[in-house]
Formats: sequence, structure tokens, C-alpha cells
Amino acid sequence: MLAQVLFSGLALGSIYGLVALGFTVVFKATEVFNFAQGMLAVCGAYFAVTAISVFHWPFGVAIVFMAVAAAVLGVLIHILLIQPLAGRSMLAVIMVTIALSIVLRAVIEILYGPQGRSLVTPLPSGVITLGGLRISELHLTAALVSWACMALFAAFFRFTSVGLLMRATADGHEAAVASGVNVNAMNRLAWAIGSLLAAIGGLFLGQLQIVSTDLESIGLLALPAVVIGGLQSIPGAIVGGLLVGLIEQLSASYISPKSTDIVIYALLLLILLVRPWGLFGQRELGRV
Amino acid sequence: MNNFKTNKAAFVATRLAVAAFAAALGLSGAAARAQEAPDDGVYKDHIDWGILMDLSGPTSSSQGPWVTGFRDYIRKVNEAGGINGRKVNVLAEDNRFNAAADKIAFEKLVSQTPVIAISGMGTSASQVALAPEIKSGTVPIVGTYTPTKALSEPVSPMVYNGFCGYKQMAQAGVGFYVDQLKLKAPKVMTVAIETAGGRDFANFIADAATKAGGTASAVTMKVTAVDVTAQVQEIMAQKPDFISIYGIENTSILTMKTLAQYGLAIPAFGITYLGTPSVYQALGPQAGANYTFISCFTPGGSDQSPGNVEMSAYADKAGHSALKENVNYVSGWVSGQMAAQALTMTGADASRAKLIETLAPGFTVDTKGLSAPIVYTKDDHTGPKVLKMFGYDYGANKFKAFGEYSDYEKYTK
Amino acid sequence: MVDALYSKPRIAAPPAPARNRLWRLLGWALALAFLVYLPNVLAHRAAFGVRLTNTELLNLGLTQINLMLIAMLGALSLNYLTGCAGLISIGHAAFYATGAMTAAIVGTQWGWPFPLALAAAAVTGALAGVVAGLPSLRVRGLYFVLSTLAVHHVIVFVFLEYQFRFFDVVGVPFEAPLLGSYELNTPTRWYFFLLPLVAVVYWALRNSLNTREGRAMRAMRDHELAAAAAGVNVRILRLKAFAFSSAIASMAGALLAYFMSNVTSEAFGLDFAIQFIAMIIIGGLGSLGGSLVGAAIWLLLPSILSGLAPQGGDASGWMGALLVDHKPQLVQAIFGLLIILLLIFAPGGVAGLGQKLKALFSSRGAR
Repeated sequence: MLAQVLFSGLALGSIYGLVALGFTVVFKATEVFNFAQGMLAVCGAYFAVTAISVFHWPFGVAIVFMAVAAAVLGVLIHILLIQPLAGRSMLAVIMVTIALSIVLRAVIEILYGPQGRSLVTPLPSGVITLGGLRISELHLTAALVSWACMALFAAFFRFTSVGLLMRATADGHEAAVASGVNVNAMNRLAWAIGSLLAAIGGLFLGQLQIVSTDLESIGLLALPAVVIGGLQSIPGAIVGGLLVGLIEQLSASYISPKSTDIVIYALLLLILLVRPWGLFGQRELGRV
Repeated sequence: MNNFKTNKAAFVATRLAVAAFAAALGLSGAAARAQEAPDDGVYKDHIDWGILMDLSGPTSSSQGPWVTGFRDYIRKVNEAGGINGRKVNVLAEDNRFNAAADKIAFEKLVSQTPVIAISGMGTSASQVALAPEIKSGTVPIVGTYTPTKALSEPVSPMVYNGFCGYKQMAQAGVGFYVDQLKLKAPKVMTVAIETAGGRDFANFIADAATKAGGTASAVTMKVTAVDVTAQVQEIMAQKPDFISIYGIENTSILTMKTLAQYGLAIPAFGITYLGTPSVYQALGPQAGANYTFISCFTPGGSDQSPGNVEMSAYADKAGHSALKENVNYVSGWVSGQMAAQALTMTGADASRAKLIETLAPGFTVDTKGLSAPIVYTKDDHTGPKVLKMFGYDYGANKFKAFGEYSDYEKYTK
Repeated sequence: MVDALYSKPRIAAPPAPARNRLWRLLGWALALAFLVYLPNVLAHRAAFGVRLTNTELLNLGLTQINLMLIAMLGALSLNYLTGCAGLISIGHAAFYATGAMTAAIVGTQWGWPFPLALAAAAVTGALAGVVAGLPSLRVRGLYFVLSTLAVHHVIVFVFLEYQFRFFDVVGVPFEAPLLGSYELNTPTRWYFFLLPLVAVVYWALRNSLNTREGRAMRAMRDHELAAAAAGVNVRILRLKAFAFSSAIASMAGALLAYFMSNVTSEAFGLDFAIQFIAMIIIGGLGSLGGSLVGAAIWLLLPSILSGLAPQGGDASGWMGALLVDHKPQLVQAIFGLLIILLLIFAPGGVAGLGQKLKALFSSRGAR
């Protein structure tokens, strides 16, 4: 049924949008295309598993732990890996994020073993029936939480002074430094936010299926979302994520399940050829 | 002037360092050379046995436990004094599910760190690529983790399968449900990931369904899928009597959870590899109630047969109690039994050729209840052929079996 | 701002005195002798009659060396594209897949002889390269990298469909290749076929860089607008670089297919593409010799590391658990860390380090 497909597309798309948003925040601030974003989502899921299944903390405490751990991880990554490579070529930075995902994956597998872990949370797992539609409560929760996070961060960037400073720093690096802004602190904050957003996405994904390092592939789906929406645009990331989720579900239902990758990447190619700055991005001016 | 002196010093220093390293390497070798350097892994006090599995790649979550099971059994044997006066040393090579790495690792086990035999070989593509080399080579494969046509047909004295095949899984699974649900014209659906093995399995299910007078169809999904709404909608439209699942753990989890979401109480069975505790834990009692799996090995702790008790006790002692309920661990343990039996049969004067010669006429592995007796004859190296259906008892927190292995023999004659 | 990642322009050295030339010739002769004797050593695990242990041979085998040689072709061609022409691409696995598919069609299905299959693979590779390079006419930098990612997915999807449609489920098979009547069916024979091939490709690429077009390419890499202003036809040049580079990669893909005798689409995943980028970064962008070293390090170092760690059978405790149960993960982690350290502290890669060492030893310091 079309409505069912649309709904699950929007629900999943919200999770993609969350991961894509984390991606965009990092890119806007530090111009780093973070290939390890998927792995950060996995780390978030494992933080949750540690807090819940290993330390046996109550759910609320576990969530706070996960958020703090993810933020700290993001800051550490910036200090240890991104800052030393400031000013280097794009290829070097891409490679360092790829190497980071290799190291993170290996460390997680050493600590937890390659088997998946199930995430036991009090998140609702039942079904709501609306007319002919059967809506999974988990999907609904994931969508609502994602929307709440996105709205929260949009408000943060628009209305708080810190958010304003971050946007200013992203738009004009030298001007920010000249104005006395602590650019490093701003960048670290961006990475902390990016990691946190990825972690929340990872939490929901882990709840939908099982927590394992295979969840990393979510990062690869966030990539087209970010590009389609516009690499430097925050609303773009959200819309891009929703679009990718919808297209994925629609092509799975009406074409065939294995066609989803090719449809999304063909669309990506098309956008790159026709409107490379994405739906919401701004055309970049080349300066000599 | 100073530059010249420091340059010369640096020059000499590096040359000396290189020479020292080479000398150290040579000296270390000298000590090893003082021992014998056999070509087939048989030393005075130990025998090397090789394993080729995916220890860190995409399928490591199921292949890792297999290796642990194998190692545990061999460790038990070594603790009891070894075989014919020698300890068995397991050399496990990681192929990361990559055919090129497999080729390298195979060469390593054949000629670099030679072993008397190899077990495992968990990557089908590598089995196909290496098949000619294996069949015309000197190292036998005793106990594969997954059977492929290229390696198993025609029957070769160099290859012994150690895991049930997809054909047997399909036959036993369909047979069980047809009898259980008393179906005259069963309608079966297969949910499979879009891979070679998935297609194979769907075909086997179709064959078994047709033989039972029914029909079959299949839906596929991506390995990395996060949602199966489309597939479940197809299931809703077709209304099968029961479902078979082929894939990775996520395939089962997503399918059963979505089926439960839609209120569909269709019984489903997964292939052996999908019968792990983590799948049942992730499903929970609601979604897991209708989920079973067909297996030629019995999960640890689910019955009191002597083999099961022995294995569970050792696993607990070795700190692997979490793994003993995993069929992959059990399979590894049984393959360890097979390896130990092969070595015992070969005798003290062991060599690759002697091992092959000893196994050729056929032998039987009695796992004392962990599986049906595994019979190898001169013309049949299929390995475990009898499978039974298992489910999970959430109340007692352990696996439960539907009947005995002997009840299922008729499905996979 | 000149990025330290690219090699510095070299000033021609003054002609060496006769005595130095003799030493250099001797060095080359020794290296050649070593390369020729190597397969013998690795196959028989003995040098000059003295048996060598696995550790002494650095845990290496001839299959590994052959796979390294095939990977060197990929590293060379990618460095040509990225380091010398300035086009960053993660689509290299797709060109390998193109070559494998072409070889499957003309070799396995149509029965063409091996050399013709290689040539056909080069041609289709060049065509695929031009198609992959077309987006570069419209987008630059990061967007172009993403377009290569999209191209990668498309091509691998086509290979997957091809594999399922025409061949058995477990992969596309290849017969042992025949060079005339000489069959390449042992690792040693493959070695003596691949080694000169790699040398030829290396010389070809190096010579091409010293031509007018080669210099124009490097100018394009360093500052595109300036190059265009100086009269370089940047668009055509980019497509040519892509065509040349992908032709080589495609040929390497065909070689890989024949060597493995069975390939599946999984062999050409994103990991495969990324490893080439790792190789050229380790070796040093822009240095062809560096790519050879980078390929060697990337493919051989994990085995060497793995061999140096003890093959503990009964080790207990957390150290034992780490080394035995998780050795492959440990090797991966160390590897990733090495790459990170290299990127932070040695931006020029091995080539950069090599230049620094040379500067340390040369008498040019004493002026």
C-alpha cells in the first residue's frame, strides 16, 4: 500500500536525515568530508549497549552517558586527527577519516567481539493501527525524536549566540579569527554535535535491528542525502535524508529491492551533473 | 665541515642497523633450523593443523565462534595428552571474506607454515577459485564450513564437508512444516538476500515444495537493508503457509519483527547459521514465537546428551559460555572432533599422504548427541545430512528441539 | 600555496663521476639478480641451498608478490591520475571490474586468446574512464569525488547483473591463460610475466610525464586556471588522463581475474577502491616510484606484522586473548594507526621521507 510505503520511507528518512545532519554540521564547520560518520553512529550504538547491558544503568542515565561519550569522542577526533591536518589537501583528510573508521571498527571488535549485540531499551515496540495503516511505534518514535533533534539544532544555530558564532566561523574563517572567536573551540563543538547526532541515529538503527559494526553502511546512505540536499545546507541535509528514505522505500516496493542502490546513485550522478550544489545549497564561486 | 661528519656518521649508522637486523633474522632462523623443517606440518612433538576462515570481515560474527569451538576442542584434547604423543597446534588464517586473501592464506598453509590438513574454508567464492588447486594438491580439506558444488562434486579424497548443505536444509525444513501443519499443497515463500547462495537456497526450497505437491516463490532483500516493508507487503499479498529465510542475522530479525508488526503469525524457519542466541534475544518472545531454524548441530545446553554436557562444561571452563549456545561454535567443536579422530586414525607415523589414505575408505564421526552420526563413505563426503528443527523457549531461556534426529532422516535420504 | 603532499620539482643533478656510475650499475645489477632469484627462494623456501624459516622470509609467499604486482599497476595508474593530473577518484575498483567483465566476455565467453583479452580490457577501460571523467567537465573537487563514487556503484551493479545472468552463482570463471603455447599456471610463471609488465607500465607512465602533455598535466594539477590561461586544453587533457589511467587499471582487472581464476562482484567493493588511495598516499602523491613502494607496503606489511607476532596456540590471559582471538583485528588497528601517523607526520609519504633521507646523506649539505 502506497501510504504504508510512504510512511516507512519518511520514518527511515528521518534517521538518515539525522546522520546526514551530523555530517553537514561537521562539513560546514571544518570542511571535512567525514567518511567515518557511519562508524560514529556505530560507536553511539555501542555506547548505549555498554551502558545498558554491561553497566546496567537505567535508560535515562544510559542515554546521557551515550550523548556525553559521543560528544567527547567527536572532540577527541578533532584534536587528534583533524587539527594536525589543517590546511592539507582534501585527499589527506578523507584518507584520515577512512583510517579512523578502520581503527574504530577494529577496536570495537576487539572489545565486544564481532557478534551483534541486542539493544534492550524501553523504547516502544508495538504497533498502532490507523485505518488500514499499521504503524510501528518504534518507527514513529524514531521519526519524532529525529524531528525534535533537527528542530532543536536548527533553533540552536539560528537563535543562540553560540550557534550564531559557529555559523559565522563556518562562513568566514579569517574574519572569525580576527573577531577574536576561538575557532578551535567552535570546530570542536561542531564535531561534538556531529558525533552526537550520529550516535542518536545509531541508537535507533540498533534498536530496529541489531547492534554490530555492519551498521556502518548507514554512513554511505547519508552521503547521497547530503549531496542531494546540498553539502553546506542544514535544511538540505534534512530534506535530503527524507528524500533518500522515500526513494529507497518506493524503489524497493515498486521496482525491486536490489535496485535501491543504483536508483539513489544514479540520482546522485544526475544531481551532480545538473545542479551540483544540491537542492538547497548555494552555488560556489570559484576564486582565482 | 660539521655536516660532513654527521652525514658520514648517519650513513654508517643506518648501514650498521640494517646489517644487525639481517643478522638477527638469520640467527633467529638458525635456532628454528636446528629443529626439523618438515614439509607437511608433522613435528616430533606437535602437528600443525590449519584453519582458513573469516575472522575479521563481514561474516566473522558466525565464523569467529566456529574457530573458537574448534580451538576449544583441540585444547581439550591437548590437555588430555594430545594424540599419539603429539599436541595439535591450530594455525588459523584470516581471509577477511576476500578471495585474494584466501589464496594467499592457502599458499601459506600449504608451503610456508605447512599444515597436515585444513578445516573451515568459509568463503564459497574462494572454494571455487581454489578447487582445482586443492584437488590436485597435497593438503586435504577435512571439515568445510560451507559446502560448494565446485569442491564437493565429483567426490574427491581431498575434500570432506563438515556442515549441512543448503539442499538438506531446504528438504528438512519443508518436510517438517508440511508434516507439522499437515499440508497437502504447501505454499512456501523464501526471503533471501540477493546473493548467489540466496538464489541457490530459493531453488532448493522450490524443488522441495514441488515434490510435496505445492508451490514456492521468493522475495529478495539487500544485505545492508534496514527495512523490509516492501517484502512483507509481498508476503501479505501471497499468504504463504510458511516462510523460509536465508541471509544474515539481520535478515531474520528484520523479517520476523516486521511480520509481528503487521500481526502476521506465519511460521518461519531460518537456515542453520541464523539460529543464534543473538537473533532470538533481538526478537523477543513476541516476534520470536513463530521463528524456528533447521540445524544439523544441537545448541549447547539444550539437551543432556553426553556430547552436549561435555561441550557445555568445557565451554564454561574456557570462558566461552556465551558461545556454547551458538550453532557455529558447536559446528567448530564437532569439526575439531573430526580432526582429532582423523589424526588418531592416521596413527603415530603421520603425514599428509597417510592422512588422505586413512580417510579414503570412509569413516563415521560419533558426536555423542551433538548431531546425528556423521557418516563418510568412499563415494559420499556430504557430511552431516540429518537436520532437525529447533526453536527457543523464552521461559526457560534455552533452545528446544522438535523431536529427535532419527525422526528427520526420511527428509534427506 | 604548494601542498606538501605533492613532490617538489626536481633540479637535474650534475653528471656523476665515473666511479659513482660504476657503483650505481652494480646496484642495479644486484637488484635485478635479487628480483630474478626471488621466486625461486619463495617457492622452495630456501636460498642457495640453505633452508629458511617462515619468519626469515617475512611470512611472504609468491602469490602475495604476484597480487602485489597486479596492485602496483593500479597504484601507478591512480597516482598518474591523482598525483600527476590532480583528479581525485575513488572509482578505481570499478575500472578493475570493467576489465574483469571484458575479459569474461571476450575470454571466457567468446574464447579469444589471453593477450587479445587484455587489449580489449584496456580499450573498454579507456572508454569507461572517459565516461567517468565527463562529470569533471562540470564539477570540481569534492563533488567530482562523489561522482566517481556514484560511477563506482553503477559499474559494480552492472558487473553483478552480468555475473548473475551469464554465469554460475559463485562467480565468473576464467581458464588458465595461454601466451602462445606457454601456459601461466604456476605462481613463478605469473611472476615472470607480471614483473616486466609492471616495469614497462612504470617506464611508459614516467616517459609520458616528461612529454609536453605530461608537463601540461602537472601544470593543470598545480593551478588549473593558470594552466588554462597559458593555453592548455584542460578539458581534453583531463579526459586523456582518465582514459590512460583507466585503461591500465582495466587491464590490471583482467589480469586479476585470470590470476584468481574466479571473481565475484564482491571483490570490487569500495574497500578495494580505497586501498589504492591508501597506497598512493603512503607512497607519496605524484611519485610513481612511491606508488610501487606504497603498494608493496600496503599488501605486504600486514603479513609481515602478522608473522612477527607469535602464533600462540595456548596463550591465556588478556594478552593471549588479544593475540590469538583478535589477531586480525589487532593487525587492522595497527595498520589504521600507521596510516594516521603517516598522514600527520610524513605528508609526502615514503617518497617524501626518501627525499629527506637523501638530503641528509648527500654532500650537498656541505656547501
